[in-house]
Amino acid sequence: MRVLPLAYVIALGAGLGLTSARYAVAERPWVGRAQVGAWTSWPNSGARDIDPYMRAYLARGVHLPLGAGEGLELIAGQDDAGQALDARCRYLVSGATPPARGWSLGVADPRGRPPQLPIERESFTDAEIVRGERGGMRIVLATTPETGNWLPLPAGGRFQLRLRLYDTPISSHAGELRPDTLPRITRIDCR
Amino acid sequence: MSAIDDSRAVPAAKRPPATRADASRRFLSRLGRGLLRFALLTLAGLFLAGIVHIVTVLRIPALATHDAATVYAALGANGRAELVTPPPAGLPAILDGDPNSVAAVCSYDLSAGPLRVIAHTGSLPLGLTVHRRGGGVAYAITDRAAIRGVLEFVVMTREQLDERLANDEEGETSRELRVVSPSLQGLVVARVVVRRAFDRSEAEAQATGVACGLAD
Repeated sequence: MRVLPLAYVIALGAGLGLTSARYAVAERPWVGRAQVGAWTSWPNSGARDIDPYMRAYLARGVHLPLGAGEGLELIAGQDDAGQALDARCRYLVSGATPPARGWSLGVADPRGRPPQLPIERESFTDAEIVRGERGGMRIVLATTPETGNWLPLPAGGRFQLRLRLYDTPISSHAGELRPDTLPRITRIDCR
Repeated sequence: MSAIDDSRAVPAAKRPPATRADASRRFLSRLGRGLLRFALLTLAGLFLAGIVHIVTVLRIPALATHDAATVYAALGANGRAELVTPPPAGLPAILDGDPNSVAAVCSYDLSAGPLRVIAHTGSLPLGLTVHRRGGGVAYAITDRAAIRGVLEFVVMTREQLDERLANDEEGETSRELRVVSPSLQGLVVARVVVRRAFDRSEAEAQATGVACGLAD
């Protein structure tokens, strides 16, 4: 009669342990994330002292994250009001970027893959955008063409924005950034 | 002696008949013991789950077969970094890579000796990173650190570094930039930012121009 309790303990331990580990590293982990406004980054993902969860996440796929001294990647899955980014809406990305040698801003599907777009324009670099008088960025995200800097969105569904800052001094202390130092994401309207 | 022992001394014939209240009390007592046992077993299961969780997360990098260093292990054997944006036929693409950058990789295995990496800078931003097997960046440098247009460093294990330090001339400073890799196998990644669409071919040439071969 002692076999049954032992089997219960082992089944519970192995089942719960393996399942929780699988879910903990299936996506970018909560551990080590830095949230600044709508943007999330994992400053240690490219550092030597990477946390075990991020390391396990990276080991499960062909990931080559930016090194800590090389740059910083920030991901936004929601706008500044906290609403999930939806391709049925139009968004304005405006404001400034932290000091960096260069940056790129791109649209990706919720898993980080390139989206299905009608034209080949899924991102902008700092050298490609048309700037206003004050030098700030102003990019409109919409499914239909817009004047100025236009990033097309997929026909529908959720999406995310990825901002990559290259050769930036902030990569080691991204968590201390103020939201106004990063581009604002404002919803214009929805279909 | 306790009251229980006293009750046992009474012959069965003289014992008062069990009432419904006694039966219910016994049932509740057995239920309580059962629940306590179940709770303790669940607690033990949860403790074991915690151990299994931690061990699994820590072991994933060592057991990984689909990480970048394993998948691209055959690239760079000819002494030059090979382009992975797009990847060579039959190899998977980088997940969540930047469409505005090109990357070329050089695989290394330090069991044969330290690896020397030499990159020439150009007009586009270049970054070199050392990715250890099983995920994680051991070292990163950009072309801002280049001396007269050349970035050069040697990747080695801790033991190889100790050996090199022991062989250094006393009183002389080595000009070699030495990078310790925490794993024997890994990847050197050269990433060049494609600032405009027409820069792509120049970026690819810059990335694939990175040389990596045995240091000695």
